Amino acid sequence: MTPSEVLSRGIARENPTAVLLLGLCPAAAVSVRVIDSLWMSAGVFSVMLLSSFCMALVARGRMDKGEIGPGAAAGGWLGALVLSSFLTASFELVLLSVAPEASAALGIYAPLIAVNCLVLTVIGESSRASSPGRALLDAAGKGAGFAACLLLIGVLREVLGAGTITLFPLPGFSGTFVIGSLAHDPARAFGFAGGGLLCLGYLAALARAVKERRL
Amino acid sequence: MPDTSTSRAPGRLNLSPAPHLGASLSTSRMTWLVSLALVPAAVWGVFLFGFPAVRVIVTSLCAALISELASSALFRRFTLGDGSGFLTGLLVGLMMPAGVPLYVPAAAAAFGILVVKQSFGGLGRNWMNPALGGVVFALLSWSGAMTRWPAAGGASMSTAVLPPLEALRSAVSAPGAVGRPLDILSSHGYVFSSLDGSIVSWLNAHILSPFHATLAGGSFDIIVGYVPGRIGEVSAPLLLLGAAFLVSRRIVRWQVPVAFVATFAFLAWVFGGFAGGQGWFSGGPVFHVLSGSLILSAFFMAGDPVTSPLASTGKWIYGTGLGLLTFLLRFYGSLGDGVAVSILLGNCAVPLLDTLLQQRMPARARKGSG
Repeated sequence: MTPSEVLSRGIARENPTAVLLLGLCPAAAVSVRVIDSLWMSAGVFSVMLLSSFCMALVARGRMDKGEIGPGAAAGGWLGALVLSSFLTASFELVLLSVAPEASAALGIYAPLIAVNCLVLTVIGESSRASSPGRALLDAAGKGAGFAACLLLIGVLREVLGAGTITLFPLPGFSGTFVIGSLAHDPARAFGFAGGGLLCLGYLAALARAVKERRL
Repeated sequence: MPDTSTSRAPGRLNLSPAPHLGASLSTSRMTWLVSLALVPAAVWGVFLFGFPAVRVIVTSLCAALISELASSALFRRFTLGDGSGFLTGLLVGLMMPAGVPLYVPAAAAAFGILVVKQSFGGLGRNWMNPALGGVVFALLSWSGAMTRWPAAGGASMSTAVLPPLEALRSAVSAPGAVGRPLDILSSHGYVFSSLDGSIVSWLNAHILSPFHATLAGGSFDIIVGYVPGRIGEVSAPLLLLGAAFLVSRRIVRWQVPVAFVATFAFLAWVFGGFAGGQGWFSGGPVFHVLSGSLILSAFFMAGDPVTSPLASTGKWIYGTGLGLLTFLLRFYGSLGDGVAVSILLGNCAVPLLDTLLQQRMPARARKGSG
């Protein structure tokens, strides 16, 4: 598998949300506003990247000591668990200081990043004894895949369900685009958890249709 | 190989391959007849609420037909002729208040056709009633617009003019509301038509007085359906007329609606009185059956052959469960009417009911049915 295939696998063929159906709870709960989707994606992306890299180093070290052969699973669920928990807790603290509002919006779903990243790390390239560069590529692909899904759902739900797009406030810009006619009386059902699951369902169906080349 | 042709000697058995049903009704004919059976109630709604009702129904129909056409073009399978898109559009239109902004029925009908029906594979594969799915989507999305009612006889939109059921909901939450539903409504100053006043007082004076019985004010309006409400839901007699036609043609099986309405009426009669500050057996079941969307939904949507159980036992269980759910949601829920959500919840249980009941069938019968 070429490096570009490793990278694109996480975005398309093994997309964490649309294909592997991991992290559905945060995806449905957090994607009400675009800004929250962005912060969540940032969290998953950074934790994935760091934990995969560290796990790949561990696997490399064990391979060098002759404990495991090349390409074998490094094991170490416990190590991955401690690692991703530590990284997630760090991300939460950073978020709390940088963007307290987003931290409140993510709520319980920020700690849940640890679980998803744990699973993705353990099944991913990083826990196999391959090069740390490959592990990084794989993690970046998965993180980008998750971010792409979350962003897509976030935009869809916020536009349809609230008629706005909330981004970062900048000098001279409140941070929120208001889509005039939609914001007046939006389809609020898209803002509920059911609306999130509906969007996720269509995303999963789309991913499968693409996979089976029916589209 | 035995000869299975229908050449028949006198006194001998007639062998023919399955199916043995003599049904001359195709699916499309069935759905068109259901639409036809809804016409009287729709006409009454238009008579009551005027041109705005026509606009809502036409918008809903157009949205449903356009969505059906677009999705059938996508799947390359022309399904406009089977009438189910038209029926969904008509039902959605009938379950809207007449003065609702026109994007609400359009979105609800499109949601019902595109998301609830076609996404799951079209007519026969939807696990949820498309019209109800669309209406609940609208109810969740535009709850303000969906609960603003034009008065009967005029088209002025007002939040002060409530349908009897909604008025009762706000009245019983006020302290000191004691009595049967219609008594509570009159004591809170709910205005029924002058025709109702004269007919009820005449009946009380001339017909009922020898029996020491009195009819509460508003009974005539409630029974005839001369009240504010959603376009197609107000007239119980005309809906029942259409339903009787469908039951007589065996298009709607009577088990589900009958179990549904009977269970609900029984529970409302036994326990419904507590909401009005009274004791057991004083709930006003007639009022509750005739108000809200119970009759329309029970006969035209709960008995939908696609989303109700196949077996007769299953139909009874399903109908009873719907009655129980509707009772709980209407008396203790926050969504007012409670019928639509109950049926959607019931739809979710149908595959389970079908599976369980199929497993209880004797092994030989299962083998035979393939």
